[in-house]
Amino acid sequence: MLRIAGLAKRLGDFALDGVDLTVDDGEYFVVLGPTGAGKTILLETLAGIYSPDAGTIDLDGLDITRTDPKDRGIGMVYQDYMLFPHLTVGENIGFGLKQRKTDPARIRESVQETAALLGIGHLLDRTTGTLSGGEQQRAAIARALVLRPRVLLLDEPLSALDTVTRERLRRELKAIHRATGTTVVHVTHHFEDIFALADRVAVMQDGRIVQTGTPDEVFRKPATEFVAAFTGMENVYCGVSRVQNGEATIDLGEIVVRTVTAIEGDVCVGIRPEEVILSRRPFESSAANTFPGTVAEIRQNGMFSRVVVDTGLPFVAVLTRQSVARLGLVEGEPANVTFKASAVHVFRR
Amino acid sequence: MFPNRAALPRPSPFKAIFLAVSFCLIAYMLVVIAGLVVYPPLPALIESLLSPEILFAVELSLVTSAVSTAFCVIAAVPVAYSLARFSFPGRGVANTIFNIPLTLPPLVAGVALLIFYGPSTFGKMLSEWGLDVIYTPLGIIVAQFFVNLPYMVRVTRSAFETINPRYEHVARTLGCTEWGAFRQVTLPLARSGLIAGLVITWSKSIGEFGAVLMLAGATRMKTETLPIALFLNMSTGDLDLAVAASVILIAISVISLAVFERYTGGRGVF
Repeated sequence: MLRIAGLAKRLGDFALDGVDLTVDDGEYFVVLGPTGAGKTILLETLAGIYSPDAGTIDLDGLDITRTDPKDRGIGMVYQDYMLFPHLTVGENIGFGLKQRKTDPARIRESVQETAALLGIGHLLDRTTGTLSGGEQQRAAIARALVLRPRVLLLDEPLSALDTVTRERLRRELKAIHRATGTTVVHVTHHFEDIFALADRVAVMQDGRIVQTGTPDEVFRKPATEFVAAFTGMENVYCGVSRVQNGEATIDLGEIVVRTVTAIEGDVCVGIRPEEVILSRRPFESSAANTFPGTVAEIRQNGMFSRVVVDTGLPFVAVLTRQSVARLGLVEGEPANVTFKASAVHVFRR
Repeated sequence: MFPNRAALPRPSPFKAIFLAVSFCLIAYMLVVIAGLVVYPPLPALIESLLSPEILFAVELSLVTSAVSTAFCVIAAVPVAYSLARFSFPGRGVANTIFNIPLTLPPLVAGVALLIFYGPSTFGKMLSEWGLDVIYTPLGIIVAQFFVNLPYMVRVTRSAFETINPRYEHVARTLGCTEWGAFRQVTLPLARSGLIAGLVITWSKSIGEFGAVLMLAGATRMKTETLPIALFLNMSTGDLDLAVAASVILIAISVISLAVFERYTGGRGVF
């Protein structure tokens, strides 16, 4: 178990400001936060690159706050891979084992085994510059994994990749985590990552952890305005997607949503509150989704009102105060929820 | 369609004038340098090149420059790394101090060294230990080291600065000590820069005159490096030997410049 208490570190413009976190063994833990929140410093301090100004880091009951990075058993993968350009892919992956003075035959065996797990077994003799982004990222992960670290730190591992590669590598990360059981701390500013990967999530802002919980909790009950604004998707529900002729029907249990996506199986959908249209009566339009419900809550928030309509699932809509008055929306009265197929954002679970 | 300047049939007056100035100066420099090389008849040049005095100067220059360059490399690596990586109080001042010899006239550096190693307490102490710096070949090495260290520091620092420190961070999480990460990752990555710095430092120390003249003097067949040989023979009117020394210095500078450009990829570091 990785236990971080009161961790503080100031480094130029970036800072950690009293970070408390507990990551269980074998957990896939995602730290979500915008650029500049201090995510990379958090990882570098955990890895031992920087010595914290205050606070403690505890791994499996051992205080490692002042331990040398090489003795921590913590692996680190940077967003920009940091493969050593003067070594081949195979030498890169075997670098850590060589430091341990492992027998060369044993190194070759381990390197091949780990490279095969990541699907880069055929690239071992290549120089790192000839690899695609996805291949470089796999090599960087293999280089850390081959040492069987107690904790693997991933710094925005998917951000530098194109959409297709990102989606594929995301699934592979999940598979690798399942296969190795390594504890993973993954920092990202993409909230899509948490649905696909996270057992638990911490949301970070200005060097602090502002919320910790399961992905569901963080999205369903954002602890602060910041979390809500950052995640931006309040209407998040999970279900099963079935695709037919390019059109998807997603069964969320209480209701079935129609949209256009190629993603099938277990998914989550998110609909931004400003894309939800409310009306007193059903109306004919191009929008694919209309559900009858009851107004559960109306809350004033400056120029806008947040209206929650219960259609079996509670949908949050943002309306101007004038619209609320014009429609005559009242708590407890019926209302219809309408949104277009294109307003439905689908993520693989 | 916008007019495509490169596709215009003739260069614009602007481009023509600037290019003309450039080509005139290139021609001027080539003529001046080539004129020196072809000035003496070839047999006379060869005879001078093989004279005992020039051969002595070549040998002394090679030995002293090799030793002083080696010391420059050993000293510059930790200094350059510190300036590139660490933040410490007075870093800016340290940077400036290491650059002083770049702008200081070598003659002045030579006089300062002469006073430091001569009448000072330190100089007397060294002298008692049998290390005589003044007017000896050892003085040549001391002078070359002092004047050329900043070149090595500059090139090496610029090489370290282009290497992302995260390479070292990763190496340390993979089991390296700080020394190990430096030796196995940073040094190999800085290889080109180190070679470039080594070549330029070596070439500068072969050509060093002012500081050497002040500290080591100009004694024929004792502290006579190539530039000193050039100076001594010019002052005694022995033009053939002076030109021979010049030709060797030109060859060394052209070759080392080519090597330097190759290893820095043409990126200027000064």
